[in-house]
Amino acid sequence: MRIEVIAAQALSGLSVGMVLFLIAAGLSIIFGTLKVLNLAHGSIYMVGAFICYTFTSTFAHVIGVFWWTLILAPIATALVGGLIEIFLLRRIYAEEMLYQYILTFGLILVLGEMCKLIWGVGYHTVSVPWPVNGSVPILGISFPVYNLFLIGCGIAVFVGLLFFMHYTGLGSTIRAVTYNREMANALGINVPMVYTGVFMLGCWLAGLAGTLMPPMSVVALGADMEVIIGCFIIVVIGGLGSLPGAFIGAIILGLLTSFGIFIVPRLAVAFGFILMIIILVIRPWGLMGKPE
Amino acid sequence: MERMEMKGFLERVVVIKRLWLAMAVAFFVVLPFLIGKGWLSLVNEMLIMALAASGLNLMLGYTGMVSFGPAGLYAVGAYTTALFLTKTGIPFVIAIVAGPIVAGAVGAIVGWFCVRRTHVYFALLTLAFAQIIWTIIFEWYGFTGGDNGIVGMPVPDLLMSISHYYYFSLVVVVICLILLWMIGNSPFGKILQAIRENPGRTEFIGINVKRYQLIAFVLSSAFLGAAGSLFCGFSDSVFPDYAHWAKSTDMIVICLLGGMYNFAGPIIGSIVYILLSKLISSYTMYWMLFLGIIVVLLVLFMRGGIMGFISEKLSSKIQEIRLRGQYDTGS
Repeated sequence: MRIEVIAAQALSGLSVGMVLFLIAAGLSIIFGTLKVLNLAHGSIYMVGAFICYTFTSTFAHVIGVFWWTLILAPIATALVGGLIEIFLLRRIYAEEMLYQYILTFGLILVLGEMCKLIWGVGYHTVSVPWPVNGSVPILGISFPVYNLFLIGCGIAVFVGLLFFMHYTGLGSTIRAVTYNREMANALGINVPMVYTGVFMLGCWLAGLAGTLMPPMSVVALGADMEVIIGCFIIVVIGGLGSLPGAFIGAIILGLLTSFGIFIVPRLAVAFGFILMIIILVIRPWGLMGKPE
Repeated sequence: MERMEMKGFLERVVVIKRLWLAMAVAFFVVLPFLIGKGWLSLVNEMLIMALAASGLNLMLGYTGMVSFGPAGLYAVGAYTTALFLTKTGIPFVIAIVAGPIVAGAVGAIVGWFCVRRTHVYFALLTLAFAQIIWTIIFEWYGFTGGDNGIVGMPVPDLLMSISHYYYFSLVVVVICLILLWMIGNSPFGKILQAIRENPGRTEFIGINVKRYQLIAFVLSSAFLGAAGSLFCGFSDSVFPDYAHWAKSTDMIVICLLGGMYNFAGPIIGSIVYILLSKLISSYTMYWMLFLGIIVVLLVLFMRGGIMGFISEKLSSKIQEIRLRGQYDTGS
């Protein structure tokens, strides 16, 4: 294998990994604070992608429509998430884990069918926006700028989230609630509000991924399950609830898949699962997580 | 006075239960004479699904192990039977028996990994293994036929007609359900329930929780495999979809719908679920939307499922009689 091919595979793997990181980070933050594994997180991502398509196609004549969408679509997605948290999830925090799974599983069906109802079964595309269209030569082969842009976005969000969690008042409030819900409550923190906020933050991240992904691929049904399984693998590899873990997990999975497809195309899908099983057996709390 | 009435009531409940059971058996035996072929094949599907869901429920409801991947083991059973039937010349019955055995063996390997972890991690591991099984089936064209599946089983002539196969699966399902009932009510089954209620305390009284969970996993896998084998013979074909996560969630929803903490739950659940799915999907293409709404409503308002709801009503009836008894003795 030549060096250029390796570089190209690595870059494309990283860019897909970064989009998955955004979704997995949301999943992980929600799990860390709410202790709910949101099976419907992939569906939220898909809703974001469809909202992105609607915005960009409805206001196609507006200059720089994609960049407006990049601001608005994740917020719209976060609002959908807020409604879900307030009307559904809030009722079952006290219940057994099984019911949380089943409820969020029910949401996969409801959200998926709603998307089908509203946007139909066809494929939609979103064109790559200026100025990140075109490609640049790297090591003699041309590489799409948009992929580099995605990698930049992923890193920026990662650094931004770490800063937000560790150096802002809101971030320490969230960490306080994550650490000890009752104590935080006793200190006068409005815990239900923090829960809603964290869930919306997670959905905002999924919406951001949903907006960033369409120019690189297509908007279509079925994206929900495609990404959620990848996110499960990422959060298990990195450690559920750990942000750096999600980042590292996403990079590993992205590279593993892109090189896996190259080496053994047929079994590429299984590679992630096999890695996940190995991690769960030898280091069950994940690479960056803490032992229970 | 109170005790008399109470006893009489409970005896009545037992008699009614037996009567119900006898009626149900009689009903299922004469069923092929009453309904058309289409409906009979639907009932056949219900029977097989009831077995699969009851097998899953040994883990889910009895032991409290939330598995996301029962369909993987169901598919192992189905493919074992299919491969034996098409690649070797062994008799049909042996191919059917091989299904649960191989599924149990695969369940032992998968379970060995899975029971090392609990809660979220257990659920995700089961999902991962089911996906691996799906990938193997889907990608191994030379052996499993990939997404074309395997079509055309050499089913013996005797079982070719739908009503004959119906009797065959009725017998197998009833035998398996009796076995499951015996397991659930044996001392072993009680230990499983103790593990569900409190794994920590069960460990303290000297029980090897992981070992029991593994045994529950293997037994559950074998029954899931049996259901898969039966379905393979019934539908005359196997497809990778049998291992798909959507199939797993069908089974989980059936357990929830019928009631997980009741032996009859998954059976009732499968009847209602399959009827509902046929009914709603004949009116609308958005059956999954309704299913999703049903699931959400069940979780929010009826967590015990249908059987949980009924037994709640029954226990309130007992309560009522007991209260009335107290008033009687007081006056």
